[in-house]
Parts: sequence; C-alpha cells; structure tokens
Amino acid sequence: MNDAREELPFDILFIGGGPANLAGAIHLMNLAGEKGIELEVGLIEKGDEIGSHALSGAILDPIALEELIPDYLAKGCPIEEPECRDEFYFLTRNRYFNVPFTPRYMHNEGCCVISLSKFTRWLAEMAESLGVNIFPGFSGTGVIYSSDNHRITGVATGDKGIDKNSHKKSTFEPGVDLTAKITVFGEGSRGSLIQEVDRKMGIFSDKMPQVFETAIKEVIELPDSNHFLSSDTTVMHTFGYPLGLHTKGGGFLYKMAKNRISLGLVVGLEYENPLMEPYRAFIQLKQHPLIAKIIEGGKVLQQGAKTLPAGGYYTMPSLAVDGALFVGDSASMLNTQRLKGIHTAMKSGMLAAETIIPALEEDDLTRRTLGKYESKVKQSWIHREHYAARNFSQALSKKGLLKFVHLGVQYFTQGKGVNDPLPIEADHTTLKEMGDEKATEVSVPMANDFDGELYVDKLTGVYLSGTQHVEDQPCHLIVQDMDLCSTRCYHEYRNPCTRFCPAQVYEMVEESPGVRRLKLNPANCLHCKTCEIKDPYNNITWTCPEGGGGPKYSIT
Amino acid sequence: MDVVVLVKQVPDTESLIQIEGDGVSIKTDDIKWVMNPYDELAVEAALQIKEAKGGTVTILSLGPEKTVETIRTALAMGADKGVHIFDPAADGSDALSKGKLLAAALKTLPFDLVIAGMRAVDEDNYQVGSAVAELLDIPQISQVTKVAVEDQTIKCHRVIEGGTVVVEATLPALFTTQRGLNEPRYASLPGIMKAKKKPIDTLSLADLGIDPETVGPAGRKVKVAVLNFPPDRKTVKMVDGGNPGEMAAKLVKILHEDVKAI
Ligand SMILES: Cc1cc2nc3c(=O)[nH]c(=O)nc-3n(C[C@H](O)[C@H](O)[C@H](O)COP(=O)(O)OP(=O)(O)OC[C@H]3O[C@@H](n4cnc5c(N)ncnc54)[C@H](O)[C@@H]3O)c2cc1C
Repeated sequence: MNDAREELPFDILFIGGGPANLAGAIHLMNLAGEKGIELEVGLIEKGDEIGSHALSGAILDPIALEELIPDYLAKGCPIEEPECRDEFYFLTRNRYFNVPFTPRYMHNEGCCVISLSKFTRWLAEMAESLGVNIFPGFSGTGVIYSSDNHRITGVATGDKGIDKNSHKKSTFEPGVDLTAKITVFGEGSRGSLIQEVDRKMGIFSDKMPQVFETAIKEVIELPDSNHFLSSDTTVMHTFGYPLGLHTKGGGFLYKMAKNRISLGLVVGLEYENPLMEPYRAFIQLKQHPLIAKIIEGGKVLQQGAKTLPAGGYYTMPSLAVDGALFVGDSASMLNTQRLKGIHTAMKSGMLAAETIIPALEEDDLTRRTLGKYESKVKQSWIHREHYAARNFSQALSKKGLLKFVHLGVQYFTQGKGVNDPLPIEADHTTLKEMGDEKATEVSVPMANDFDGELYVDKLTGVYLSGTQHVEDQPCHLIVQDMDLCSTRCYHEYRNPCTRFCPAQVYEMVEESPGVRRLKLNPANCLHCKTCEIKDPYNNITWTCPEGGGGPKYSIT
Repeated sequence: MDVVVLVKQVPDTESLIQIEGDGVSIKTDDIKWVMNPYDELAVEAALQIKEAKGGTVTILSLGPEKTVETIRTALAMGADKGVHIFDPAADGSDALSKGKLLAAALKTLPFDLVIAGMRAVDEDNYQVGSAVAELLDIPQISQVTKVAVEDQTIKCHRVIEGGTVVVEATLPALFTTQRGLNEPRYASLPGIMKAKKKPIDTLSLADLGIDPETVGPAGRKVKVAVLNFPPDRKTVKMVDGGNPGEMAAKLVKILHEDVKAI
C-alpha cells in the first residue's frame, strides 16, 4: 500500500455513469473509430456498479438511442414494456377523475418503459466492448485545474480507508488524480463537482436558480391474479392529491415485465409547508383508492429516492469551459414538461462527443472549440423541446388555479405565456415559518400504515434500496452550524430535514426535556441530495462518501 | 512462495434474492455478483505473504463466464494471474465435485500454499476447501484468524470455544479463512488498469481430464430438496413518549389490543 497519489492520464474522462455520459462515451468511441483516432477513455461512477445509483421512472423516448445504437433491440437492450398506453388522472382525497384531454407533451406513443438501472448496465456493456475503461466504485471528489486556474485538467478521486476521525486505516488507499485533455461532467441532478466548477468559473451565474423535485419510487411485484396486469393500460400519471394544487409534482405508475410495476411520486421542492413530508405523501398516494386497488396483494421489491432538476431552459449553465463540458441532468437538460431527461441526457452526451473529436483534431481544448457544443445543443431537438417548455416549471410552481392560467396561455403561445421569462425562486427560500400552534402536528405517527410488505416505513425502504456505506468513515454530510438546528431551525421550521429526507438520515433527539441535538445517520443516505437543496439555511453540504457506498439499485 | 487462492463469485447478500419457480434455485437476473467475502480475506492473506516473502499469487475460480469479473477484481487487488475453470458441464456441481475440479486444476499449477474462504456465503457448505486438501493429500487448517508462514511450515491461529489454538503444518498446505484474519484491501484504480493486462487462463473439463458424467448434476451426491426464506421479520414498533410508567401502560395496551398476546 502506497500512500502517494498517482496520476493516471486519459485523453477523455467522463465523471458519472448515467445515460448522458455512457451515451457520450459510446458515441465518442464510434466517431473516433470511424476516423481511426485512438483514444484512452475513462469513466468513473460512485456507485459500486453501473446502475447501482440509477433510479428513474422510466419512460424512454428512444429518439437518441435509435441514433446511437440503431439495432438496440437486436443488441439486447432491456425493455420492460414496449408500448405506452397512457391514462391521466386527477385525484381528490377519496376520488379520481380520468382526464380525457391530455396535453400533447404528456403523450407517450412511441416510447417504452425501461428500468434505468438495467438500461445503464447494458449501455456500460456496450461502452466497455468499445474499449471504454469503466471504473465503478470511485467518486470524483475534487476538480483539478491548470496552474493558472483557467482550464480544467481532470478530477481527483476520493481516498478510501479513512476512519471517522479522518485517520488512515490499515486499508488506506489514496485517491488518484485522473487527468484528461477534456473532462465531461455528467453527475446527474445537483452534481457536487459541477457546483465546485461554478464557484470557480461561474457557469451558473446570470441563470435563474436551479430548482428541483424529489421523487420516491418503488418497484412492486404483483400477484399473477392482479387485474391491472391484464388491463390495457401501461402508463398512468396522477396529479392533485396528496400534494394538492400548491405543490408541483404528481404520481406515476408504469407497467414493467415479470408482474412488476414502477410506482412513484414526484414532489416539487418549492413547497412551503415545513411539515410536508414527501415520504408520507408517497404513502398517501399508495393508499389512495385508485392506486391501492391496483397494488393490492403486491410486495415492494426495491425502493429508492432521487432528485430531478426541474428548472429547464432558463437554468441551463454555460455548457463548456476550457477543458470541460457539462451534460445531462447536471446541466439541466431534463425536460420537466415531459418528465423526461434520459433522451436529452443521452443526446447531450452525444453532442459533446461530436464536439470533442474536432477539438482533438484541431488540438484546441479551449472554449473556442468546445463552445461549439453549446451551439450544437441550440440547433438540436433538445433546444426545441426545452424552448417550448421554458416557462413550464415556473407556471407549475404557481399556487392553486393560477398555475392553469399560466399553463393555458403557454400552451397556446408555444411556451411564451403571460411573462417570459417567468421568474422562479430557489427551493431553499420557499419554506414558510411555522407558528408554534402547529407544533403538535409534527410527530404524527404512521406506524399503523405499514405492513412491512406492500407498505413499508422509511428504514425498511432504506433496507430495500440495498444501501450500504462503510460505517467507519468521515461523515459525508457537512452541517456547518449544528446549533442552528436545535435553536432557530427548531423554532422556525421544526427541523424539516427530519421530514424531507426520505431515508431518516436526520433525526432530532431530545436528550433531556427541551434539549435537542441533531443526530446524523449518514449510512442510510440514498444520495438524493434533497437535504442540500431544501435546507432553509443552506446549512447542509452533501459530499461524495467513500466510492462504492450508497444504494444498490438493480431494477429501478 | 507460490500461493493459489480459491475464489468464488457469489450473489451480493444485499441484492434482491428471490426463489425461482422450481423451488430449489434462486432467480439470477436481478442479482449483483461479488467476490465471496471470505475469499477477499484469502486474497489479502496471499498478497501479504507475497509482499513479505516474494513469489506469485494465482487466483483459481470455478464458475460461469461472468466469474472472470471476480477474477479481475482479485487481479486488481494485486494478484498476478488467473485460472478460470469454465465449462457448462460443471454447472450445478455439488461441493465434492467442485473440490474435484479445483484439485485437478491445482495439480497443473505450482504452489506452496493454497488459501480458500472457510465458506461461500451462497451455499454455505464449508466443504470445498477441505475436499480440495483431501484430494491433493496435503494438510489443511480451517477457520484461520492469524497466519505466519516460514520457509517450510505454516503456523495458524484458530478460534475455539473459550480460546485460541495454534496449529502447525508443513508446506504445501491449505488453510481456510475466518473473519478477523485481516482487512482486505481495495482494488485501486491503477490496479484495475493493470489487471486488464494480466493473464487469465481458461480450463475446460477436457483440459482437466475429467469425465462430465462425474461432475455437474449427474455427479451430485446430494440434491437441494427445497429452498425457504427465513420467517418474515416484522417491523419493530417503538413505544415512545412519556415517563416509564406511561410507556409501560402503552406497551400493555399494544400487547393486549394489537398483538393480542395478553
Ligand atoms: C423518479 C424519477 C423518474 C423519472 N422518470 C423519467 C422518465 O420516465 N423518463 C425519462 O426520460 N427521464 C425520467 N427521469 C429523469 C432521468 O432519470 C434523468 O434525466 C437521467 O437519468 C439523467 O441522466 P444523467 O446521466 O444526466 O444523470 P444520472 O442518471 O443521474 O447519472 C449520473 C451518475 O453519476 C454518478 N455520479 C454523480 N456524481 C459523481 C461523482 N462526483 N463521482 C462519480 N460518480 C458520480 C451518479 O452516481 C450517477 O450514477 C426521472 C427521474 C426520476 C428521479
């Protein structure tokens, strides 16, 4: 065991093993192959395997996949359900209404249902067969810059084998400096390195604030006799209950192969009520008569949570700097209007590849050549989709019926709407302070709602996500000011972290009457990053734990 | 010193384990495969011996095609080469047949020491290491928590009820690992790059001179009759709030009304 950091040089380095980077790496190898260019390409992923941290719906619009791997079916692309036959429901507490007219962007003809976890594992096989070096179990923990700080020259991976007190254990393994001519950041929603880049290079300045949604989802296995399995419907979306009309988001239910369904709830993090608990809302969705009837007799096989970047067009960062490109969810490529980001992520990765090849040929790795990626995105269908939806997320954040006024006007003005751009607020600013009178509402127990099979509590959910972290390591959640939690935050918001975290990472323990302390369970963390986004004081920073830790999703 | 490590690829116990329709096997499609944790200890022990004494570390593994991934992991940790017994006719072998196949391969390899996990966490037989030593007619020491290797001998600590026992044997010998032996190292990133170029030989039953009828399902002396999950663990219910008296009252109420135990 050697304590010194090594440098490992690549031509091109991809950070994150999601659809954006995997498609990018595959396309890059294909293009390089056509031109006879030899490239050493590396890709790191913090999950212990590709797919372990992939959680999505997911309805795949195959437009980018068809371009990338035209014979994807022959190559064994794992598809759960080849046809999307949609239904759209408005829910009240006990009733539901089938919405006969669905907006065009909600139609999913031509799309199919996939498990992103399986899909990315398959993409990784494709990439490896083309010679991409894939390194699962390694987190990027720092950006490496040129000595003048103007150019990104790579990414440092985290040390392994460090104990709670930051001392080296016997297994200590130093991280590596991965250097590259061009680094592509595809860290997904709320990437930690892209934020570091922003602090240095300001790629998000002049943009509207990034806004997010948190989703909790399960894969449920239904008994053979289940009536939904034999029904025609394969895709359902709901809005209304349990979120009401003040919070954006809604439910989804997709049919998968082998008697399985994917069921989830997306909750806009611009919500105002500090007592809101997304996990609880998810349970309420499951208990709603419409859904409860469908999932009757089922068993939860896997559960997990993840955030989605919902801001879209006006929140997209500058997409290239000297030495680096930004793709997929990290760069706000998700189209909230269609609740789809896989196709745009893949396309953005592919456009990045198409920019990299000429940059290498010209031997110019600055924004002058890499900036062409931005114009390629502008000329592609990514831009067309996004431009039409440029005010959509903002409109959905409007309270009550007002949102429908905005949406209606936008629908008939190609997205321009009442105001363009319609402004938006950062999620951490939207919580309303609570009055003391509501304090009793906080600890409503849910124990009776759970049966451990179909309805599971948060900790069982964590178990079903397969989440594991090396226990003896420094806490990856950095709470700058712990006192704030027991003082101001308790009084103003009753510690919303204990509710918005879907994995019970945050707990307030009452050590003696009136004396409270924040207790962290970082080993439960699902890497959704809701805490960093929603904490009203910006008091929490999420950093990558030791590589290989986190969920082990395989069918989500 | 030439060390051969017996390594098995097993389902990650955190993955989604479901019993197949036949009732005697598990569904394999949604499973994540990893190195048997006891074999990680074996690889680490071998690497430490190599660091101290020089020599080579060879990884020997029996299993389907994807077993190569696990062999590569061991190579990335620092082993020198891999040998993969891969033959569809060997699928479904029982512990004794596995021992036969591994022993046959070992006869083609130079070794002073063989290290194996004391058990594989999938089938939990505790048999393969012993079978191999028996078939090679070399000394075996099981469930080792500490090891010292001299030129001609090996000295191992084993935990027994109420204490430890130190056992010696002359080389060549085989020992199996128990938790506590060491902390296996990580496969480093440069290690993974290097492992891509390390050799892995593949051996078939024909290469080993083994008749397919004597291994695999045909050669089984024991058969799995049925697989069962442990009884469902019920969700824990915490009784909270109030002073001990109130909590006790709540508990009694739950036991009486909800659980109907009293
Ligand atoms: C519940 C839910 C439902 C959705 N439904 C749909 C749908 O139906 N259709 C659709 O098209 N889209 C859907 N989406 C969106 C879609 O999943 C994303 O847009 C898409 O996955 C983005 O791809 P990406 O490659 O940019 O990021 P990701 O898929 O998030 O991949 C990023 C990867 O990078 C890794 N990573 C991050 N940081 C680091 C680091 N520092 N070092 C190493 N590795 C790192 C992560 O572990 C992750 O594996 C949904 C999303 C959610 C959460």
